[in-house]
Amino acid sequence: MSRNKLISLSEAVRRYTWDGMQYASGAALPVGSDAIVFGRELLRQNRRNLHSIFHCNTQQLNLLAAAGATTHAECGFTGLEVFGFANGLRRAVESGDLALEDYSNLAMALRLLGGALRLPFVPATVNIGSDLQHRSAFAPDEYPAADKIPAVTDPFSGRTVGALRPLEPDLAAIHVTLADPAGNAIMLGTEWSRYELSRAAKRVVLIADAIVDDACIRQYPNLVRIPDIIVEAVVYWPFGAWPQGSPGMYDVDEEHMKAMNTALATVAGTQAYIESFVEPYTDIDAYLDLIGRDKVAALSQTSTGFLLDPYRQWIKPHAEVLSLIAESTLETAQ
Amino acid sequence: MSAAQALPCTRQEMMAIATGREIRDGELAIFGVGLSMLAGYFAQAHHAPNVRAMTEGGIYGAEPVGGLPWGIECNRISSNATSFTSCLDALGCLVASGRCDVGIIGAAQVDRFGNVNTTGIWDGEDGHIGDSYRQPKTRLTGAGGANDIACGAKRYVIMLNHEPKRFVNKVSYVTSPGYLDGGDARDRHGFIGGGPAAIITTLGILRPDPLTREFLLDAWFPFSSVEEILGNTGWDLKVSPDAHVVADPTPSELAALRRVDATGMLRRS
Repeated sequence: MSRNKLISLSEAVRRYTWDGMQYASGAALPVGSDAIVFGRELLRQNRRNLHSIFHCNTQQLNLLAAAGATTHAECGFTGLEVFGFANGLRRAVESGDLALEDYSNLAMALRLLGGALRLPFVPATVNIGSDLQHRSAFAPDEYPAADKIPAVTDPFSGRTVGALRPLEPDLAAIHVTLADPAGNAIMLGTEWSRYELSRAAKRVVLIADAIVDDACIRQYPNLVRIPDIIVEAVVYWPFGAWPQGSPGMYDVDEEHMKAMNTALATVAGTQAYIESFVEPYTDIDAYLDLIGRDKVAALSQTSTGFLLDPYRQWIKPHAEVLSLIAESTLETAQ
Repeated sequence: MSAAQALPCTRQEMMAIATGREIRDGELAIFGVGLSMLAGYFAQAHHAPNVRAMTEGGIYGAEPVGGLPWGIECNRISSNATSFTSCLDALGCLVASGRCDVGIIGAAQVDRFGNVNTTGIWDGEDGHIGDSYRQPKTRLTGAGGANDIACGAKRYVIMLNHEPKRFVNKVSYVTSPGYLDGGDARDRHGFIGGGPAAIITTLGILRPDPLTREFLLDAWFPFSSVEEILGNTGWDLKVSPDAHVVADPTPSELAALRRVDATGMLRRS
């Protein structure tokens, strides 16, 4: 019997996060599968001065930035795709409260791969020659920036390429569709850079929409791109990516995406959002009530639902997962 | 008595059709979210049925379902895919490697050498940042995959609304490199990709001079004119000796575009 690593969300944040840490999430694109509920809990526990590693901005980073919880961020993309600019992040950058270091999307994936392999640097043929190389928000007085993407010579061809700095964040909170209690995970939809991030981070906590029996994992081992041996703990949290979508599980909540981004544009709106959608719930059921059970049902009617069909027979009922969390050694040991 | 009223489509639709005409059948192509995805899937629906389309999200073989996707990973582009992979695969193995034939990217600002800024708008003289980096007056969306497409794709098309504030002599911040300061600048950096083949706007088409790499006015749309384009460009845009008017959209082009743009996003403006 493999180990039960289920843990409550609040205990996971208490145990694995601290002020000033390098915190990574957002490795599944801006409106997709991201561990947004983990960011809500970071605010509930008043974590501050986070150095955020987000391959792409999501509503999680938008919220953390709007609330003033992050002072540094490194990103490849900082919008919300068709939902537009990320107003909370934008406000934090424009006020100077958040130093945002810009890379491209491929550069962030390569930096995570470099961290995963513990390489000294990763040679890059992208980002060179642009202001992504020449300008640094972390070293604003250096122009051109010397230490961001230094030019190095390819020893084979003699050409000049860029040296990307590998990333090894203290913690990665990674949203996955399915995980077993030991932390073997299956992601439906693009994995974006969750594979690389899971190897780059010093610690990995999964946030799973559903918990499956390990028979499911043994049926589809080829699809398990994050294996339990690199996973510290598993948080079960249905609709953990809300208001973003999770392929196979639920669609983007368009109405809340817009309302949330509008709220985060101002200090007062952010405070109101936190009071309404971050602080009130006490457990998973209260969280789903807050979203609205009708909305939960409507968003679950996704055209991607068929992607989940092969796995449905192994999904554990809600009540069974709650008892597994209660009896997990991670949850009870102090 | 605007000529636009006589036109059978909006300026945004004309821009999408002109952009789609740049995509050839069978090409390996990468589309961003929003307008560029509509232009790309229009090409597939019309004259390029065998285009090998992908998104930088590593979603292959898919066509949007239920309206314009909210993102390149969202469920509207994940309902009929043949492969889901990753950023490293799509932007790395297939784009930065030099395999991708054509990409379409958007821009907040573009300059005379086709350099694109999507990072921020800075205040002060001509928007120059200065020697010390400072926060922008207006923060934009950052690079995303556009820098990777600009560095690695064999060619790419830049698509944006034609307004003076967007067509500037020199962008404040080069997010995605065009021809940098012109001439052979790209060769000096050793970029794998060939650079921007066209800037396609709501008024017409600009293409680079083969030697100087400065963008010239190549064509105007049936509803626009050379004068209107020059008046909406923030540098002394030169007119190509071969400049011409772009052909009207054909009925089959418009029908294909409107099938792809089922929610009428390009008809709102």
